Amino acid sequence: MPTEPIGLSRDLPAKRVMRTMVDGQDIAVWRSASGKIAAWANRCPHRGMRLSHGFVRGENLACLYHGWHYGAHGRCTYIPAHPELEPPATIMAQAFSVEERDGLIWVASDGTAEPRGLPGGLAPLRSLTFQTAKSEASEAFSSTPFEGNPPAVQSSDAGGIVLRVDVDSRTLNIAAALHEANQGETTAHLLVSDEATPAQKVSLSRWCEAVRRRAEAHVTTRGQENAA
Amino acid sequence: MSLVYAKNDWYAIAAADEMTLGQQRQTLLLGTPLTVTATDEGVVVRDDQGKTYPYQIKFDHVWTALGDAPRALFDIPEGDEPGRRCVPCGVVRVKCSPLRAVENFLDIAHFPFVHTDILGAEPHTEVEPYKVEIREEQDEVWATKVRFFQPKAAKSAGSGITTEYEYRVPAPTVAVLYKTCPPKPEAQDVIAIFVQPRGEEECDVWPWMALYDDESSFEELVQFQQEIFLQDRSILENQLPHRLPLDPKMEIPTRADMTSVAYRRWLKKRGALYGAMTEVA
Repeated sequence: MPTEPIGLSRDLPAKRVMRTMVDGQDIAVWRSASGKIAAWANRCPHRGMRLSHGFVRGENLACLYHGWHYGAHGRCTYIPAHPELEPPATIMAQAFSVEERDGLIWVASDGTAEPRGLPGGLAPLRSLTFQTAKSEASEAFSSTPFEGNPPAVQSSDAGGIVLRVDVDSRTLNIAAALHEANQGETTAHLLVSDEATPAQKVSLSRWCEAVRRRAEAHVTTRGQENAA
Repeated sequence: MSLVYAKNDWYAIAAADEMTLGQQRQTLLLGTPLTVTATDEGVVVRDDQGKTYPYQIKFDHVWTALGDAPRALFDIPEGDEPGRRCVPCGVVRVKCSPLRAVENFLDIAHFPFVHTDILGAEPHTEVEPYKVEIREEQDEVWATKVRFFQPKAAKSAGSGITTEYEYRVPAPTVAVLYKTCPPKPEAQDVIAIFVQPRGEEECDVWPWMALYDDESSFEELVQFQQEIFLQDRSILENQLPHRLPLDPKMEIPTRADMTSVAYRRWLKKRGALYGAMTEVA
């Protein structure tokens, strides 16, 4: 089953919770005070509240509705309405496999997360959401010129694309890990060679916006053709 | 079928004081679009095919029923007691099952987390044992001897008090609570929600109060209640599934949820399943 890149590690600091969709499943991803990451079904087993609205207390994620705490492996550790009660081991948030590699967070909707291999030496650039399918986003990355020249495609598969561009007589790698969280809505998580200067990162970031405009314009044009 | 059952209950569909002569309101009840018109002969409730439905004015609201044999509308006798102020609190649209809205109203364990520093505050999170029963004679769910510490229990409360509650479910989409009245400890404030099911996953909630509070203005009272309810809405619209699961395997209760457990069983036994799901998803 698919392992999806759902975000940049640096965008999920300690004590934060985010929501994502993988393979149609609503998932809460959060990081504990000590930095441990976990991905759980976005539903408190008590009354169905989305756990992505919850708050982190130390090594536990607490549900916003009644403050039930869930810790390692999704096990319920504390029920505030009954402070003396040891919660039954059967109360568990459903856990998904999550891995962090190359600055990205990868979540599997089933089985063990298997991050895709990326070239070494990359650093996070930004995440950008496209109102297009994954294939259209990928196509726009390879076809949008950067400073007049089309980028060289290093590798490309269903999960994303790795490109090479020449900037200021230097060659940089750019990786776009693509995640279509909802149909027709793709987020590109972008990494760039860590030797890129701040100015180069700014121009690459602007180029990514041009990629998005191209992808979305393409979708709009095609939509109009279909309508005609 | 759940819709047939639901059609034979009465529902609040408009605030009575807004239905002055000539006023018209479009609304939706159990999936049926309705037009409510105030005429010089009274209120007319009509659907798009021109069929009219009965109405009655009670608890400051206009009520209607779509079925051929509606069950009697319950009473809230405290509403008629002299000295009480009856306060209709407007309407809040919520994208959730009408039954989830009622169940949330019956719950106290969420006060410290959702109504922080108003109806509850950490570390006062413990829910002491209370009593729940189905009163067979009236066919109603009742919870009594419910006690909870509250930093600001009502508009009229100055500082924190332990509030005593009683809850009553007189119809599947109505909940009434009786709580300690801060300026008049021998009496109880009455707060109710009349939930109008627009569909199985969308409702209009009409809060209504009958209070002993001569100090606060009408606007202040309404604003207090609206603030509470908007906090609840942020929860209600994020519960999955949106419909209320009646199979105990789907959501795990604890002792604090005895009212909710009784309410769910009572709905199932009656066949009041509009807005509910009976099987594991």
